[in-house]
Amino acid sequence: MTVKTFARAYRNYIRSATAGGEQFGFDLELVARIEPLLSLLYRQWWKVALSGFEHLPAAGPALIAGNSGGTIPWPAFMLMYALMSSRSKPRRLSVLADLDWVADRKLRQALAGVGFVARTAENARRLFAAGEVVAIFPEGAAAASKPFAERYRLRPFDWTLFLPAIEEDVPIYPLATLGCDEAVPVFANLEGLARFLRLPAYPVTPFFPWMPFPTNLMSLPVAWRMHLLRPASRPADQDRHGLDEVAQRQAGFVEGEIQAELNRMLRWRWKSQG
Amino acid sequence: MVTWTNLQEALKPGDPLKAFARRHPSFYSRYAGQEDDFGFKLSTFALWEPLFRFCYEDYFKVRTEGIENILGEGPAIVCGNHSGLIPIDGAMLAMAMCSHHPSPRRVRFLATDWFFGLPGLGDWIVETGQVRATQENARILLSRGELVGVYPEGLRGVGKTFRERYRVLDFHPGFVQLSIATGAPLIPIATVGGDEIYPNLLNLKGLARFMRMPFWAVTPTFPWLPFPLMFIPLPVKWMINIHKPIDLGYPPEKAGDRKLVLRIAREIQYDIQRDINRLLRERRSVFTGWDG
Repeated sequence: MTVKTFARAYRNYIRSATAGGEQFGFDLELVARIEPLLSLLYRQWWKVALSGFEHLPAAGPALIAGNSGGTIPWPAFMLMYALMSSRSKPRRLSVLADLDWVADRKLRQALAGVGFVARTAENARRLFAAGEVVAIFPEGAAAASKPFAERYRLRPFDWTLFLPAIEEDVPIYPLATLGCDEAVPVFANLEGLARFLRLPAYPVTPFFPWMPFPTNLMSLPVAWRMHLLRPASRPADQDRHGLDEVAQRQAGFVEGEIQAELNRMLRWRWKSQG
Repeated sequence: MVTWTNLQEALKPGDPLKAFARRHPSFYSRYAGQEDDFGFKLSTFALWEPLFRFCYEDYFKVRTEGIENILGEGPAIVCGNHSGLIPIDGAMLAMAMCSHHPSPRRVRFLATDWFFGLPGLGDWIVETGQVRATQENARILLSRGELVGVYPEGLRGVGKTFRERYRVLDFHPGFVQLSIATGAPLIPIATVGGDEIYPNLLNLKGLARFMRMPFWAVTPTFPWLPFPLMFIPLPVKWMINIHKPIDLGYPPEKAGDRKLVLRIAREIQYDIQRDINRLLRERRSVFTGWDG
């Protein structure tokens, strides 16, 4: 898509994306360049069925915590596209991710350009202060290396990622994504090789690393569902035992909400298949 | 390897109650000669105990962690994930409490009405200690200092299909209400193994409705093999992980606070699911379990 047609189609998105103060190297031109790919994946390849996004506020900070899977964090990109292509309230998404292992300067720049931000509490606080929507995938690198037999079984969440949101009283929305763990079936994770190459994981899939470069990042055309749940309320007892304990409890609750929703989605899918 | 000594004991002639008293003297002296208006009969329990102990010790080789978290005295509510078409998971917990606890005690499971109407089985379930699931019954039991067992998934949890195994269904929050109202601590329990003993390949809903059954499952053995053989489970290795007791510490009038009750029920459900996920991740194989 040329920049001009992008500017016309995403007028509201551009307005809201450029309104915030903090940008962290966000690059609208790069977003315009990858938009056709995201649109193809979202609309034709995975046919993402979206629900629950009406709960998300049109303005103000929000934290979305979701499950992830696959060699590339596709759920992050799909969420990004879902938010930018929304008719009623398009919003820019910042993804807090572990970028320490990305040694290549250009790749780093590109990731920052589409909205990836190094996951530090300081960055999270600045994004919340600017009223941005922030996404985290608290399973971490384990999500990329989860074997196919353990699909849609969450790895323990990193509760420290929830601390800034709890400090600032930002609403936390659990996001359940069905499809990502089947789009790229992981047969094995070569931990030794991953350590040697300084990568967070080295998954072996039907495509990776066998096929030549762009095709090894391919995925299967499974149907995706993304359901944004209502924000997790504060723990029932209001007397605070300290922020750490509240964050631990809240992270566990959000993890459970996502897992329970995935269980429900799977049950529903199997039931409708007969 | 499966050893048969427990099963031989079950088939030995003689008074089963006397043999039981010899094997489990403290359990026997605790409940012998006691009238129980819910219908528990020590003789029936003693008659069937060797068979279930064979399942526990030899066949499923159940590994129970954290049995000390269940206190020897006083009221408490154990709640866990349900599994396995024939709900053997409750019997396994009862066995753990009978023969592997420092001060053995019985578990009074709250069972759905449907079981009590079954010919033959209805009486058996009452005599082995199960109680019709109502709030009053549970409150009476807790006021007598009994250990009450609840599977808040209910019958839906038992009828899960094989690919839904270890995916915990939403808990009915009644057990939290009970805990707040009576002040009895909650003890969550995660059981791994039960969902694989009878692989439920297909659920014939029409036939189930016709026969007034909650589900009608087709497994690799049921209904193909002749009578007793069709109920033989797979020799899966089990793990029962008993969590630390939770004292909710709310005043009894909070039992009516639906939002609070539901939130706590969800938190306990999610804890159990998370523990199951961890146990499955750490398991080496279905039949050898966590050690081999």
